[in-house]
Amino acid sequence: MTVVLVADDDADIRDLVAFKLEQAGLDVVAVEDGQAALEQARIRQPTLAVLDVSMPGLSGIDVCRMLRADPATAGMLIIMLTARVQEQDVEGGFSAGADDYVTKPFSPRELVSRIQALLSRTRA
Amino acid sequence: MRRDGSVGRLLTRAFGVLVLLIVCAGVAQMTTVLVQHRTVDQLSTHVQPLQLANAHLRGVLADAQRALRGYLITGDGQLLDSYHVARSAYPLAVQDARVLATGAERAAVDAQAARADAWWALAEQQRQAPPRSARAADFVVTGMPLFQEFLGANADLDESLAARAAALQRRSLALGRLTVAAVAVLTACAAGLAAITATRTTRRITGPLGRLVGVLDRMRGGDFAARAEEDDGPSEIRAVAAAVNTRADEADRIRAAEHDVARLHAEVRELGYRIRGHLVVEDAVREAVQGLAGTLRADHVLVRMAAGQTDVPPVTSLHDEHRYGPLAALAGCPSSWLKSGDVHLTDDPGSSAGVRPPEAERQAWAAVGNGSVLTVAVSGGDECLGALTLIRDDGSPWSPVEVRLAEVVAADLGRGVHHARLYEREQHLVARLQELDAAKTDFMSTVSHELRTPLTSIAGYLELLLDTDSGELGDARRRMLEVIARNTRRLRELIEDMLTLSKIESGAFRISKAEVEATALVENALAAVAPAAAKASVGLHTEADGPLPLQADPDQLDRVLMNLLSNAVKFTPPEGTVTVTARRDGDDHVVLAVADTGMGIPEAEQQALFTRFFRASNAIHQAIPGTGLGLAIVRTIVDNHGGTIEVRSTEKVGTTVTVRLPVQ
Repeated sequence: MTVVLVADDDADIRDLVAFKLEQAGLDVVAVEDGQAALEQARIRQPTLAVLDVSMPGLSGIDVCRMLRADPATAGMLIIMLTARVQEQDVEGGFSAGADDYVTKPFSPRELVSRIQALLSRTRA
Repeated sequence: MRRDGSVGRLLTRAFGVLVLLIVCAGVAQMTTVLVQHRTVDQLSTHVQPLQLANAHLRGVLADAQRALRGYLITGDGQLLDSYHVARSAYPLAVQDARVLATGAERAAVDAQAARADAWWALAEQQRQAPPRSARAADFVVTGMPLFQEFLGANADLDESLAARAAALQRRSLALGRLTVAAVAVLTACAAGLAAITATRTTRRITGPLGRLVGVLDRMRGGDFAARAEEDDGPSEIRAVAAAVNTRADEADRIRAAEHDVARLHAEVRELGYRIRGHLVVEDAVREAVQGLAGTLRADHVLVRMAAGQTDVPPVTSLHDEHRYGPLAALAGCPSSWLKSGDVHLTDDPGSSAGVRPPEAERQAWAAVGNGSVLTVAVSGGDECLGALTLIRDDGSPWSPVEVRLAEVVAADLGRGVHHARLYEREQHLVARLQELDAAKTDFMSTVSHELRTPLTSIAGYLELLLDTDSGELGDARRRMLEVIARNTRRLRELIEDMLTLSKIESGAFRISKAEVEATALVENALAAVAPAAAKASVGLHTEADGPLPLQADPDQLDRVLMNLLSNAVKFTPPEGTVTVTARRDGDDHVVLAVADTGMGIPEAEQQALFTRFFRASNAIHQAIPGTGLGLAIVRTIVDNHGGTIEVRSTEKVGTTVTVRLPVQ
C-alpha cells in the first residue's frame, strides 16, 4: 500500500486530508510539525508527502529542501499546501524541489485527484 | 577759398565782392554822369554863350562897318544912325564876351577888342569924313584891313571855341562809352561770381550733405556702426556730422547698456530656474549665493535665515566669510528688521523708505568696508524667510536694475526654499505613506492567510458532508449545507478580491507590460466563461476585427475580461446574449466592450458602480452572488494602464461596459 506523509500544524486540516486520502485507499502518516515529518519520512519511507508551507519550527519549504538533500528521501513526491498566492511562496516551493502545490482554501477532492495524478505518473 | 572753410564765410565773401562790384559800377556811372553834366554845363554856360557873344560882337561890328560904308557911299543919315546904334551896342557886347571869356579866351577877346578898337578909331574918323568923298573912299580902303583883322581874330576865337565844344563833346562820348564798358565788365564779373559761388556752394553742400543723409539712412536701416565723415565738407556740415556721430555713439552706449541689462535679466532668470530647480534647500541657497556673486558682481554675498526657519542653514555666505571673515559680525545680526518685500540700500536711503536697520546692523556693515550694501528680504509668500545681503568692495553703487534683479533672485530664492521644503516634506510623507502601504499590504497578506486556513477547514468538511449519500443527509439539511457552501465560496471570493485589490492599488502588482494580442485574450476569456454561460443558457458572441496588438499586462487584462464577462453572464437571464467587441479606435487605442441583455443597473446607482463593496440593488434583491469588488479591480487595472472605462446601462434592457486602452 502506498504510504503518504501529511504534515500540517492545523489539526482540522490534517484530519481532513488524512480522512480523504484514507478514503482513497492510501496509507496515511499524519504529523503536526516539520521535525516529526522528517523523522517519519526516514522511518516510513512514504511515496509522497503533503507539506503545509507555514508550520512552526521547520517550514514546509525547509522540510522539502532537507528531504531532497537526503539521498534516502530524495526521490519522494512532494506536494506543498500554501495559504498564500504570492509568487515568492510558489517559486520558493518549486525551487526547494516540490512537485506540485495547492493553494488554501482547497477542495479535498481536488487535492486527492492531484495526488493520484502524481502517483500514477510516477508508477507509469 | 579753402575747402574746409565754412559755407557762411564763402557766401559772405562772395556777396562782399558782389556788393563791391555793384558799388564800383554805380560809382563809375555816377562819375560819368557827373563828368557829362559838367561838360554839358560848360558847353551851355560858357562855350556856347561865348560863341554867341563872339557872334554878337561880330554882328555888331559888321552892322557898324556895313552901316558906315553905306553912309560914306550914300550919305544916308539913317545908315549913320544904324552905325551909332551899333557903336553904342559895342561896349556891352565886348563886356559880355569879356565876362564869359576865361584864360586864353580872355586874351583872344582882348586881342579882338583891340582890333575892334583900332577899327572903331578909324571908323570915327571915317564918320567925320564927308560922304562920297575921296577921303571917305580912302578910309574905306584903310579901314578894310583893320576890319579884316578884327574878323580874323573873331573867327579865330570862334574856331577855338568850336574846337573846345567838340573836344568837350568827344570827351563826354568817350567817357560814356568807357562807363558802359566798365559797367558791362563789372556786371559780367558779378554774374560770373554769383554763378561760381552758387555752383561751389551747391557742390560743397550737396555732396557732404548727401553722404550725411546716406549715413543717417544706414543708421535708420539698422547699421549701428555707420558714422558720418567729420572732416568732410564745410564746417556747418562737419558740425552736423559730429552731432550725428555723437548721437550715434550715445545710442550705441544706450544700446550696449540695454543689452547688458537684458543679459543680466536673462542670467537672473536662468539663475531663478536653477534655484527653483533644486530639491534640497541648502543647494538652492548655495546656488543663489554663487549665482548672485557672478551675475551682479558682488564681492560678498550673505544669506541669513530668520529665526525659526527650520531645514535651512541659518547663515550661508559666498566664501564662508561668515565664520571668521569680515561677515562674521553681520552674520550674527538678526534679519528681523526686514519685512517681506523690503529692500535697503546704504547709498540711497530714499529707496528704502520705512526700512530701519538697527544700529548693530549698521556697525556690521561698516566692519565689512566702505562698499555699498544692498539688503533684500527673502520672502516665501507673505512670510519673510530671511535676508539677502550683497556687498561690493570697490564702492561702485548698486544700479536700480541691479537692485531689481537682486529682488527677483531673492523672490526666486524664497520660492526655491519654499518648494524645496515642500518637496522634502513631501518626500517624508511619501516615505511614511510607503511604509504605511507596505504595512497594509503585509497586514492584508497576513489576514488573508489567517482567514484562509479556517476557511480551508470549513470548505473541506462541507465538501465531505455534501459528498456523503443524500439518503443520510436529507433534502432539508442538504439545502442548508448548500447555503453554507455558497456563503463560504462568497467569503473566499471576498478574501481573494480584497487581496487582489489591495495588491493592485499598492502597486505590489506592478503592471509588467508586454506585447499582447487583444483578440486572443478575448478568445481565452470567452472559452473560460463558456461552461458557465452554457449552464445559464446565455449565448456568447464575439466581434473582433483583425489582430489587435497592444502593450499591456496580459494577466491583469485577462482579469479585466474575466471579471466583465463573468459579470455579464451572471446578470443575464436565460436565453439572453453576451457580446464582446474588440476593435481599434484610431491609431492609438483599442476598445474592448462587453454588452449583455441582462437586468441592467438602475440609473441612480450607475455612478457608484466602481465603489468597493457596492452592489446594485436589483442584484441584491435577486440574491445574485458577488463581492462588489470586481468592477473596482477592473477600474484600478484600467487606470494603471492609462485607459478609461465607461458603463452604459438601461434597467431590464442590458449593460455595456466599454474599456478603452492605449496601444502603447
